[in-house]
Amino acid sequence: MAQGTQSIKIGIVIPLTGATSQFGATMSAAAKIAASDINAAGGVAGRPVEVVIEDDQSNPEAAVRATRKLIDVDKVVSIGGSYASAVTSAIAPLCYESKTALFTSSGADSITKTPHNGYIFRTSPTVTLQGTRVGRYALELGAKKMFFLGPQTPFAQAYIDIISKLFKEAGGAGQGLIYEDKRASYRTEVDQALRTNPDVIVLGGYVPDTSVVLKDLYRAGFGGKKVGFSFGVNQVLADGIPQEVSEGTASLVPSASEESPAYRTLIGKLGRPALDSYSCQVYDHVVLTALALAYAAASSPSGTAVRDSVRAISQGGKGEKVSDVAQGLKMIADKKPINYDGPSGPLEFASNGDVEGVFFRYEQVQQGKMALLKVA
Amino acid sequence: MTSYLLFIGTITAIYALLSLGLVVSWGQAGMVNLGLVGFFGLGAYCSALLTYIGAPIGFGWLAGAALAAAIGVAFCLLTRTLRGDYLAIVTLGFGEGLRLVELNERWLTGGSDGISGIRPPLKEALSDLYPWFYFTLAWAVVALAAWALSRILASPFGRALRAVRDDEKVAAVAGKNVLRLKCQAFGIGAALFGFAGALYAHFTSYISPDNFVIQLTIYIFLAVTAGGYSRLVGAIFGSLAVMTILESSRFAAEFIPGLSAVQIASLREFTIAVALIMIMQLRPQGVFGLRNERAGANASDGAPHATAVPATPN
Repeated sequence: MAQGTQSIKIGIVIPLTGATSQFGATMSAAAKIAASDINAAGGVAGRPVEVVIEDDQSNPEAAVRATRKLIDVDKVVSIGGSYASAVTSAIAPLCYESKTALFTSSGADSITKTPHNGYIFRTSPTVTLQGTRVGRYALELGAKKMFFLGPQTPFAQAYIDIISKLFKEAGGAGQGLIYEDKRASYRTEVDQALRTNPDVIVLGGYVPDTSVVLKDLYRAGFGGKKVGFSFGVNQVLADGIPQEVSEGTASLVPSASEESPAYRTLIGKLGRPALDSYSCQVYDHVVLTALALAYAAASSPSGTAVRDSVRAISQGGKGEKVSDVAQGLKMIADKKPINYDGPSGPLEFASNGDVEGVFFRYEQVQQGKMALLKVA
Repeated sequence: MTSYLLFIGTITAIYALLSLGLVVSWGQAGMVNLGLVGFFGLGAYCSALLTYIGAPIGFGWLAGAALAAAIGVAFCLLTRTLRGDYLAIVTLGFGEGLRLVELNERWLTGGSDGISGIRPPLKEALSDLYPWFYFTLAWAVVALAAWALSRILASPFGRALRAVRDDEKVAAVAGKNVLRLKCQAFGIGAALFGFAGALYAHFTSYISPDNFVIQLTIYIFLAVTAGGYSRLVGAIFGSLAVMTILESSRFAAEFIPGLSAVQIASLREFTIAVALIMIMQLRPQGVFGLRNERAGANASDGAPHATAVPATPN
């Protein structure tokens, strides 16, 4: 055991301060739990892993400096966690040029279109996929005229374009309106939306503004369908507004496989009743790196070894489904094939690095509670 | 470690260039420019887009600086009646406005996706030497800018600028074209911001509207305040100091036990704020204070009567 003491370093670049830092605390906690889980199981080929957490300050400029430090000073084999799409786009070239694997939970489609030579793995559904699923669901509900209401976010226009296109292809019509968030009333916007006589309204906002929009829709007597995204329509929203206002609003929740034992174990260790999908993904970024390195059994761990082995341990019909990292490491040591499914989902990657086989939970507010309609 | 230091050193040079620009418009001409990050972005986008359609990189850089200067002069003309805090708040809004244009004009800027794959100069040819090359280039630009500015500011033009800074009315009474001087100073400052932006874009190969937020403006103001807001040497010193605080706190944080990652990150931000407050309390003039600069010819005797304006009878 000559190499026994030197730890394998895994970099984590996450928003701990700034505008996108709402999940920072749980993300960093999840990364540390992943490292301790791996080390409790004996580490990777006898070597402990260490996560080095850097703050991206919700800013690509600061993120680039942090990433440079992780790659050049800490010599990390992989970087996980990167959250905001602008941050991921900024640090991606640094990673693939230095042959460091990059795991990200960003949504922008453009990220995996970079010439990354397979070094990027995305564990979150893309904006296109989320928009398409929401649009298709609205069509399934029998809607013909869609109106999108959402705040100014990087993806608002993309959502409008994607969903409107789906409606036009189905013989209907779709349009949208982007509003300023943090307003006390959206009466004007709601009036403008209702003037087009929509039979479904897609809510693209977060909890605070979506609550106000729903109230104004209720006051205006809107009787059509309402569909939102998980970051806007969830139990927090349902708890905050009267039942008759939220009643019937549907929501699509991506990936976090809440029935999975991996998810249950992770929230148990964190001591929380529930956990956001992004923190689950950070946990999986660390675990995927460790399992891939254990599988590669290379004498010196590297980003290239991670890149080449991730798919061997995360997907494929031959491997036995494993949701516990200790069990996974043990089976790899015994030369048994595995297929790791983490708290964030089944983790299957297409050749461009995008996650495949993401399932969504279709939920609906029924008498103030989120009720599960279906999983697809 | 070397490549990391070269990278940080290059970013420091870009900060120094921004600080030099701020010294010209704020320190020498008295115009606070809180929108400097907007001009930084203008230069970055201009060069990135021009080189994307095939323009040579050097041309892109100069065009970035020229565009920022032109917009700067136009902005200065537009806000000619504003001074002090009023000008400051308008520049802040202008910088944010430019960022929103970058965010919303998707056909041109790619919106929030930003522009990736910006061409680096000579990277293929230099391979391993490339970081050294860019580091040297960036600092050479800083040295050139500092030298040129020191010549300009030591000239009668520089004295006129300082007269405008200290009292616009007095400068106007002395026959100086105040508006023109202000536009020139603001334009020179904006040109430096624009050039710095172009250097930054081609260095990191990716820009997005999120790059050009107020945070960077704060760092540059901290650098210039720490160094002495009217001094070129102060701008360079301040940039080095700010980058040292920003990056060394990363390593220092590892030695503080018992703090969560969020607490460490918050502590780092806190350090910056405390540093700014401490400077303002303990040494508001910065490390290199305001210098009493006399006109060239009769400066040697230094007697008060040599420079004093003769009292005019009423």
